[in-house]
Amino acid sequence: MTEITFTFDGHKIAAREGQSLAAALTEAGHRAFRETAKSADRGMFCGMGVCQECLVSVDGMPNLRACMSPVRDGMVVAKQAPFPEFSGAHVAPSAPMHLSPDVLVIGGGAGGLSAAITAARAGADVVVLDERKVAGGQYYKQSADGSVLDAQQQEGAELLATARGSGAEILSGVELWGAFDPLLFLAQQGETAIVARPKTAIVATGAYERPVMVPGWTLPGVMTTGAAQTLWRSYGTLPGKRVVVCGSGPLNLQVALELARGGAEIVRLAERAPHPLQRPFASLKMGVAGPSQTAKGVTMELALRRRGIDMRNACELVGVTQSGSELLATFRSAAGVEDTIGVDALCMNSGFEPQNEILRLLGAEMGYDPAMGTLRCHTDDAMHTNVSGLYAVGDCKGLGGAPTARQEGIIAGAHAAAATGHGDAYDLFAARRALASHRRFQSRLWELYDIAPGNAATMPDDTLVCRCEELTIGDLRNGLEGKPGHAGTLKRSTRVGMGRCQGRYCGPVAARMVAEATGKPVEDLSFFAPRVPIKPVAISSILAAEEALYGEG
Amino acid sequence: MARADVLVIGGGVTGTLAAITLADAGASVTIIDAGVNAGSDANAGSLHVQMQSRFMRLYPDQVPNVEASLPFYRAAAEEWVRLDAVLGGVELVRNGGLMLAETPDQLAFLEHKADREAAQGLSVEILDRRALDQIAPWLGPHIIGAELCRDEGKLNPLLANRLLRGRADAAGITRINGKVDGLALTARGVEATTAEGPLQADQVIVAAAWGAGRLADGFGVSIPTRAEPLHMNITEPGAPSINHLVQHAERSITLKQFGSGQIVIGGGWPATYRGPTQPPLVRPSSLLGNVALAAKLAPAISGLKVIRTWAGMNTTIDGASVIGALPGAERIIMAIPGDAGYTLGPMVGQMAASIALGAQTGFDPERFTPARFAV
Ligand SMILES: Cc1cc2nc3c(=O)[nH]c(=O)nc-3n(C[C@H](O)[C@H](O)[C@H](O)COP(=O)(O)OP(=O)(O)OC[C@H]3O[C@@H](n4cnc5c(N)ncnc54)[C@H](O)[C@@H]3O)c2cc1C
Ligand SMILES: Cc1cc2nc3c(=O)[nH]c(=O)nc-3n(C[C@H](O)[C@H](O)[C@H](O)COP(=O)(O)OP(=O)(O)OC[C@H]3O[C@@H](n4cnc5c(N)ncnc54)[C@H](O)[C@@H]3O)c2cc1C
Ligand code: FES
Repeated sequence: MTEITFTFDGHKIAAREGQSLAAALTEAGHRAFRETAKSADRGMFCGMGVCQECLVSVDGMPNLRACMSPVRDGMVVAKQAPFPEFSGAHVAPSAPMHLSPDVLVIGGGAGGLSAAITAARAGADVVVLDERKVAGGQYYKQSADGSVLDAQQQEGAELLATARGSGAEILSGVELWGAFDPLLFLAQQGETAIVARPKTAIVATGAYERPVMVPGWTLPGVMTTGAAQTLWRSYGTLPGKRVVVCGSGPLNLQVALELARGGAEIVRLAERAPHPLQRPFASLKMGVAGPSQTAKGVTMELALRRRGIDMRNACELVGVTQSGSELLATFRSAAGVEDTIGVDALCMNSGFEPQNEILRLLGAEMGYDPAMGTLRCHTDDAMHTNVSGLYAVGDCKGLGGAPTARQEGIIAGAHAAAATGHGDAYDLFAARRALASHRRFQSRLWELYDIAPGNAATMPDDTLVCRCEELTIGDLRNGLEGKPGHAGTLKRSTRVGMGRCQGRYCGPVAARMVAEATGKPVEDLSFFAPRVPIKPVAISSILAAEEALYGEG
Repeated sequence: MARADVLVIGGGVTGTLAAITLADAGASVTIIDAGVNAGSDANAGSLHVQMQSRFMRLYPDQVPNVEASLPFYRAAAEEWVRLDAVLGGVELVRNGGLMLAETPDQLAFLEHKADREAAQGLSVEILDRRALDQIAPWLGPHIIGAELCRDEGKLNPLLANRLLRGRADAAGITRINGKVDGLALTARGVEATTAEGPLQADQVIVAAAWGAGRLADGFGVSIPTRAEPLHMNITEPGAPSINHLVQHAERSITLKQFGSGQIVIGGGWPATYRGPTQPPLVRPSSLLGNVALAAKLAPAISGLKVIRTWAGMNTTIDGASVIGALPGAERIIMAIPGDAGYTLGPMVGQMAASIALGAQTGFDPERFTPARFAV
């Protein structure tokens, strides 16, 4: 890989071509990327463009996400101040891109790529838009330099190659920010505005991770488990030398092992749920539903034990503080015993939240799944939503895992193609059978973990909930005294969810708190109303889109 | 439900100020609010005083009404200055408002407008480009001049709403969530019909904005309150740079910077109406057109990102507020600010409360009387 250099606040930093800015900075030991309005430091958290915490200024342009920006030779990078000077010169919009395919696939992960392959093979004209530099999604996350780490990445590389060979056009580095009725989509690829008016659209935007909200979860160096995984799998960067992984679910197990193999010292792997062997019946049900996946899980656990990693069950993170360059993480055991360990990085994952913004904006019907604590998008057997021409597959509908996403993708791809006059979408029996089996395994799997949303009532008052607006659960509790009838009312009175990330972390908490206080069941309407833009969009990009659509000049 | 002295229908800025004024005077007050589509929850916090060019263009026949209301607008802005102090700070800033001109024609229009406004007692001045460079260096090069109206300003409406709500609670005002379907006079007062049963009061103040006209039907008037869905945008924060409320002589735009550093862009771009119980829907044409226009007038902001857009329900009537008792139904008092309703709302609410208390309002009641809509 080519060595390049850039500066961060005047420090010269060496990096590898293809690395993200966040990876290069992390590797060089820099964790604080931006300063908040209340003078707190923040760094990379989600690693996937969702949290908007990793903002830096690059060559004088403010507020770029370090996790989504590739590092370039000679870049001048600075820690992001909360109130940057206006830098905008009137940028001349570049020529916009107009797309009107039979099938537009939004998201190029397991679900989206499978959909694209099926639809393209049926003869439909297919375009895939994906936010990341290299498509593949979260499960099949590809390395930036094309190297292949393991079987999972290999499988993804093959899927991607098949998709490329299928005739589908795959556009990477494209962020979709606006969705409007009837199937009008606005996106940006760097400086270029994209206007898409497809005949049908398949949403396959996946999920993001649910954090463990404790005092200190916003400190630089605390990140989601998936962020650490992306650092390692995509950029060959470890999140730190001494790492602790905590929360609940199998991703923690997998990533702990990956990082350990990569050379990190996993100081502890703390799982909130009791050990599966303490619930033999549930474990047995999972084993029957998915023998090979279960075996994979057992193998991972044995490998971790062989490495002598301190694995604890029924062990809960209660807080993180900073001491010099070290993070001090305090855990509590089932017996109520607390202990504190010092680490470089803390990884957390406590389940997943579907990226359903596009679906909600377009009016797709949702129901609440109390076991997972998320909305689920209702689709029929064809993966079609209640909105004409709109399909949804994979984790954006509600967690299902990569194998489920693939089968759903195949089904949606076939139906969307057929709806535009390509193929008949008949021969889907194998996909449907496989889908039923994957779904069975998933439901058994999650019974073994503790991924129901945390109980906000037990959170200490000073726990930050809204990272962007820097509001604590105490602030929200005060806000509840005004008896808001809806999360939107709480939003207006406290500013919860009014920041750049659009309430992706605080939103579910606020929705449940208000529902509980008002005695109403949680439903789609309990959540903040979906808003355009889905992700912050540059005014220059809006100028370009306006020119493209209305050409008024 | 216990009988109240006064039932206030609508819990936006107008109804809340009416209720507080009455409670402070010793009345027992209940606010009933449907909890949907309050303009007060969606508005941009501009303190408008000068005549809005958008309004003059859209409703030319109403201009004389607006012109005659100018002293009223100025007094309303003063009222906000008082409230800012009383409430403990609503981030009110009164640096004035700029209305921009790009062509000599537009500047001539502004000069003529400024003369009319000065005659009504407003503090206005025409600035050339050199003068603008001193106070608004971020403007695009094609701006040739502007009208400055020193009476104008901005405030943080979310903060103001929260503080007003706290004041109302502290004053012991009862608040219920519900919709009034109709009003009827009884021997002892007024009865309001709701799905949860009737509510009784000696008097009723109707501060229900777009929902007000319907409630007055059947009392010899037809008040044309119109729901007008409007679009707004807000950016991420930038360094404090824009001190004024910014508008344009010919085009629909308001632009200003909040205390949070965020830039709020609006000015009357349309959203799609979806009925009274659902918020309006954002239109891509408004989002793109409104923001693109802002970036053309103030290119310096084009390095920022838009983080959110929303749509809310404004209410228009005929260019003047409707304040006063219904003819033949003295116990029912209307309180509808009409255009620039957040600026006017507190004044309108207080005046309606004064009328309910049998006191003078300080303005010619004929200007605002509901009787002008007699059928
Ligand atoms: C960080 C993370 C790591 C994970 N790691 C694993 C793992 O190692 N093992 C495992 O079994 N499961 C893992 N999962 C679970 C995983 O999400 C699913 O099992 C699987 O990837 C789902 O496939 P999908 O196609 O639904 O979504 P994904 O594979 O997540 O694909 C979604 C794609 O949509 C794109 N996208 C999203 N929003 C937009 C937008 N607005 N514009 C353009 N593109 C967009 C994304 O860039 C992404 O490529 C992980 C999840 C996350 C969030
Ligand atoms: C996007 C937008 C931006 C704006 N920007 C500005 C600005 O910058 N400056 C400015 O001065 N003005 C602005 N306005 C106008 C201003 O917000 C409104 O005119 C003002 O808030 C009206 O206040 P109100 O209390 O009279 O009515 P509202 O705040 O509209 O409240 C009326 C309430 O009555 C309720 N209601 C209606 N019918 C019934 C019924 N039958 N029974 C019970 N309740 C009922 C409604 O649900 C609502 O809650 C803006 C408006 C919008 C939509
Ligand atoms: S870490 Fe970059 S957006 Fe979350």
